[in-house]
Amino acid sequence: VQKMGVNFTVSNKDTVKSSDVLFLAVKPPIIPFILEEVGPDIEARHIVVSCAAGVTISSIEKKLSTFCPTPKVIRCMTNTPVIVREGATVYATGTHADVEDGKLLEQLMASVGFCTEVEEDLIDAVTGLSGSGPAYAFTALDALADGGVKMGLPRRLAVRLGAQALLGAAKMLLESEQHPGQLKDNVCSPGGATIHALHFLESGGFRSLLINAVEASCIRTRELQHLADQEKISPAAIKKTLLDKVKLESPSLSVASGSKVSLFTNKSKKN
Amino acid sequence: GAWPRLAMEASELWVGFVGAGRMAGGLVRGLLQAGKVPASNILASAPSDKNLDGWRELGCRTTHCNLEVVHRSTLVFLATKPHILPGVLEEIRPAVGSHHIVVSLVAGVTIQTLQRLLPPWTKVLRIMPNLPCVVQAGAMVFSRGSNAGDDEAALLKSLLSSCGLCEEVPESYIDIHTGLSGSGVAYVYLFAEALAEGAVKMGMPGALASRIAAQTLLGAAKMLLETGEHPAKLRGDVCTPGGTTIYALHQLEKGALRATVMNAVEAATNRACDMAKD
Repeated sequence: VQKMGVNFTVSNKDTVKSSDVLFLAVKPPIIPFILEEVGPDIEARHIVVSCAAGVTISSIEKKLSTFCPTPKVIRCMTNTPVIVREGATVYATGTHADVEDGKLLEQLMASVGFCTEVEEDLIDAVTGLSGSGPAYAFTALDALADGGVKMGLPRRLAVRLGAQALLGAAKMLLESEQHPGQLKDNVCSPGGATIHALHFLESGGFRSLLINAVEASCIRTRELQHLADQEKISPAAIKKTLLDKVKLESPSLSVASGSKVSLFTNKSKKN
Repeated sequence: GAWPRLAMEASELWVGFVGAGRMAGGLVRGLLQAGKVPASNILASAPSDKNLDGWRELGCRTTHCNLEVVHRSTLVFLATKPHILPGVLEEIRPAVGSHHIVVSLVAGVTIQTLQRLLPPWTKVLRIMPNLPCVVQAGAMVFSRGSNAGDDEAALLKSLLSSCGLCEEVPESYIDIHTGLSGSGVAYVYLFAEALAEGAVKMGMPGALASRIAAQTLLGAAKMLLETGEHPAKLRGDVCTPGGTTIYALHQLEKGALRATVMNAVEAATNRACDMAKD
């Protein structure tokens, strides 16, 4: 991060004080006590953007309202390809966030991919689709490459070609008015290779597997949110567990208070 | 030129049917519906009177003599069962002339076989209809033999379009048409039955469920044909987010319905190919 020229600090307070737009990019269980920690420093000017899966706007507003009467909160769900500026981001604005606040976030996130506003109750579905989506794609690409290797291609070439095929197909779809079903038909010459292959996909219930996956991810997100709402686990216990884990993972980093840095990209994000 | 001759041929056309079963009956109803050939110009032969009564009621002439049909017709439809055809062809062969147009409806009998069993100058065409021809909503494909030209193809198409969709195709598509549409009608009946059963399970009386199921299929097909839109697009149009339809479609996808249907078309097509070889 420092190599990118971004200012780095181990103090959450410093981060808040020197920011106008504050991205909370910690893991969902940590959100409650981060909010308690930085709450006093939140001012009217701050736009608090939470990227934490399953954490509702109302839960954030509730925590912050003890410190600031009208906290501006926006909830956002993005995905890992923001790293290559091809992210898929949605956001929902909280009670006190103005239209301009939403537009500001949209401008920021549109610079790293697609960004649009949605109703908050759709965010779980978005998680299931485009939040987890890259993982489905990586799995597919791994398997496609295996297929290529099985039929004689070197692995590197197989991976490169598979990725390009999906990239190209996605680009065609985004730039076309046509239904994906029509685009599929356009590739399938009668009795040809592609239709034979598609028959295999259909026999394996390919489509239903993808529907199942989106559904499972969405439902799990809701479950996690539900668990968090019930606050069954005390924030302190979570803090201790995660602190220990962070120490294990990054022994060189001195972690005073579970510090995180405000970034435009969510490198440590796991959906 | 060719066009005046064609117009003259249609109204002065003498049409014969060797074999008078259900498929032939469907075609003749379509022909009469088209209004291009008067019933009195149509002659059908069959071994027994069982099928011929219906033809007489339409105003057609009937006989038990296949040769008579060939003698008195220009356009001759062969509509016998496959195993009977070779014997019939041997019987009528002496009477077939270069003015005849012979159109075979017989499943699994190739143009090559027909031309082998008929005189070398015969204009032969092969057609594969499907059952709904009897209600003028059929799907038919036809191919021409070596001596059949554009005039004959155009004549056949113009006469049979009143029975439904009628398209010329390469002969290799005929078996595929069997798998798709010939047998395909049965797949639709199966689907309709299953839809109705689902409704009955949920509490609707069977007769009502069946009629609604049929109307649903009819309406969906009509929209497909009339809008010309891709079925995937039409399907998407019906699916409101989180609504009933998408939930149901997920069930169908779980059951790999698409692959199963593809398997069915493939199986029927392959079987048609195999039977043709026998």
